[in-house]
Amino acid sequence: DNDDRDVIDPEVRAYVYSLVSALGGSAGDEGGRYILGDDALACLKDLKRWLKLYDERTNRLDVARCLAEANLVNGDLLEILAAWREDEPLNKLKSKIALACLELLVPLTWPIEKEDGDVTVNHHRHMPYLQLAHVSYKRGILHHDSTKILRTAVRIGLPSMALPLKERSSRDEGIIKLILYFFRNVALISPPRNLPTEETQNDIARSATIDSFEEQDILHLILTVSSSMGDDFDTEDVVVLELLFHLLKGIDVPQLFLDNSELSAKKEDELQDMLNKEAGMRRSYARVAPSRHNRFGTMIWLKRDDEKVSTLSGQDVLRDGQQSLAKMDRSKRSNKSKRGKKGQEPVHNDFSMPENISSASNRRLRAFVEEFLDASFNPLFIHIRKAIEREEDRVLDIHIRQYFYLVGWFLEAQRERRERYRRLMKQGGDVKSPDTESFALVAGVLNQETFISLNRSMQQALDNKSWHDLNAGMKCFTQILLTVHEMSESPLEEDQEIAENIQNRIFYEETTHDRLFAIVRAYKDQGYSFLDTTTELTHVFLRMLERYSKQNVDMQVRSRRRARKKKAANPVAGAEDQQEDGSEAEEVAQAQMVSKERKFDFNRFASKLVTQKCVDLYVALTQYYNDLDTEQLKRLHRFFYRAAFKMEMSVLLFRVDIIALFNKMIMGPDGLDQSSPVFKDWNELVRQIFKKLIRKMQERPELVIEILFSKIPSTLYYLEYGHEKQTVSKP
Amino acid sequence: EEQNGGLGIDEEIKVAKKRKPLPKLDEPRLLSQAGIPKLRRKAKDRLKFKGKGHEFTDVSRLLNFYQLWLDDLFPRAKFADGLAMIEKLGHSKRMQTMRREWIDENRQIAAR
Repeated sequence: DNDDRDVIDPEVRAYVYSLVSALGGSAGDEGGRYILGDDALACLKDLKRWLKLYDERTNRLDVARCLAEANLVNGDLLEILAAWREDEPLNKLKSKIALACLELLVPLTWPIEKEDGDVTVNHHRHMPYLQLAHVSYKRGILHHDSTKILRTAVRIGLPSMALPLKERSSRDEGIIKLILYFFRNVALISPPRNLPTEETQNDIARSATIDSFEEQDILHLILTVSSSMGDDFDTEDVVVLELLFHLLKGIDVPQLFLDNSELSAKKEDELQDMLNKEAGMRRSYARVAPSRHNRFGTMIWLKRDDEKVSTLSGQDVLRDGQQSLAKMDRSKRSNKSKRGKKGQEPVHNDFSMPENISSASNRRLRAFVEEFLDASFNPLFIHIRKAIEREEDRVLDIHIRQYFYLVGWFLEAQRERRERYRRLMKQGGDVKSPDTESFALVAGVLNQETFISLNRSMQQALDNKSWHDLNAGMKCFTQILLTVHEMSESPLEEDQEIAENIQNRIFYEETTHDRLFAIVRAYKDQGYSFLDTTTELTHVFLRMLERYSKQNVDMQVRSRRRARKKKAANPVAGAEDQQEDGSEAEEVAQAQMVSKERKFDFNRFASKLVTQKCVDLYVALTQYYNDLDTEQLKRLHRFFYRAAFKMEMSVLLFRVDIIALFNKMIMGPDGLDQSSPVFKDWNELVRQIFKKLIRKMQERPELVIEILFSKIPSTLYYLEYGHEKQTVSKP
Repeated sequence: EEQNGGLGIDEEIKVAKKRKPLPKLDEPRLLSQAGIPKLRRKAKDRLKFKGKGHEFTDVSRLLNFYQLWLDDLFPRAKFADGLAMIEKLGHSKRMQTMRREWIDENRQIAAR
């Protein structure tokens, strides 16, 4: 309709609409077939020009919006592609038209980046509509009535892909990239989280994507392209990376390697667990639930010091003092305002949302992942690492994050895969034995070059406070540590040697240790996923390092210090420094790193890690105790045990909020699930900590105050031991 | 407006009343008599523990003690929020000196 409130220039709309209708249409007298207009190819080119010269150049989304309203994709483009039958590949005009359709489809399905600096009112006006349009595009592409659209897209590119790399023109390369970007866009589109959706979105969920990709041989295409990366393909690496990322992000690796029966058994267990948990919750509520109707009108006085009383109403407060105090607190109206989350990522680059897939897709994806590991992992990931190191123009910042996320993901997949084979062998199943060289399948990322680039990227992410990048790097690092650990337990002597070597290289640099401390110090409400990753990394790192340093008693570390610091300690050199004040800046710039080796002391390392900040980090994750799995609860338990009893730093835990949290976990209400396998361990740990706390409170009355605060480092030792630290003066 | 000659003399001038500032849980309040001094006083005669075997009852007694103290000191805040505010105050220079002083005081008493 052409009323004045139309948000798009009517002239633009008229032009675009006339082009869309000139493109062609389904006619009743042709049996509902789609008939191309006389100048269809020119129309497609014009539409492309509109998108480019109007939308792109003026930074608007008007044409895209018009095309969405005119239903161009589902009404025309897909129909045109469908009409290009498999038995007529050599029709030149038709293949040209098909390519022109794809050239429109790719920009129309391109993700809309919200984070762009130049977001205008116009964008905000059109974005919700276009997001929903994307969903309908994806639905049309995946589930077209008559034709496999994705397969048709591959056919457009086959002539170009068939050419050897050297003979390809830039147009050929463009076509190949166009197709890969098309698949990436399809994989990326997901139901927008911020918009209401009218029905269940199963038909465009990840499962549907995987199923279609498998049925239409796109997964094969990915395998082919990535296994010959470097030979037949070169600059397509980052697009394949993106495609893989959007296909695999958020998928739980251990679950992927469960068989159908195991999966359903697990699901059943899960259901049983959930039901038990719910029953437990009901029980605990029933204990305090009112036994009379809600207007029964009970009221009590709570007598307090200094002749004061507090008034409370409700029957639940009659039962015990604990309840009445809890109710007193609940009834307070002020709530500390919760700040909104800063720096929200565009949804499609977020890998922290778990993604569930159906068991059929699970099987398909697993087959793909295994084939990928066998043939494509090393070529692709080595190639991309080199591209990242050379800082190629095509490598964007986001690719570095995706790279490390996927490296970590595939390392975990490889471990789970070995685990699965072992399981199957144990059951006596007739399976081919696990490849003895299976560590070689991921060797491409277990080399010094990768470690260097991972270290650099983590340090950069830390310096720039880009937490999502850091998160991906940490996930990758954790998986490398776990893989190397598994390697060191391999029956093959060669594997053990390599593992030894790698561990030595990882743990040798003190900068690696220092970075871990820095990450812990950097914690400041970055959200659940960051907490989970950070605690896992510190947990794994501590354990591996402890084990390694025990096995290698004479382990050395190389520490690097600025040369100037040493000078300052020397009074003569210090005086010289003051004399030549002018050259100081120069000197700082030139300040050399002095490296020296010294013996590694695990206890010193652990005491540097187990700090108030680290305790805060673990406590922050513990607050989610009701949503954590057994593995995570174990990890937290080990840490608190280490802090309180191994490191004898229980004072760090003596803070009212932490004590209240522990108390709530065990005593409820809404405590830790009592049937949970780790409940016993936690109960014992908390009891021991409380025992220590009560004893300490009696021994040192100053704790009455100190328990309110984070401890000052200088008083920490005294509070723990009751005397000052004896510092041994160096000769 | 025409009748007033557009001068606006007859219009009442509205004086916006200043909002009463909300009470804050800050250093002065924490260090006032109802704050930490009271906590130290009360802890001596109110905080008695049963000891071994009664860890959980002892700790809930301890937590109740702090909750009631905080409710007297700053009734507006919930227990958890109040604790967070106090913890934050503990980072200031002045509070850190005070804390060290309290520890030293107790040590001298213990040494005697």
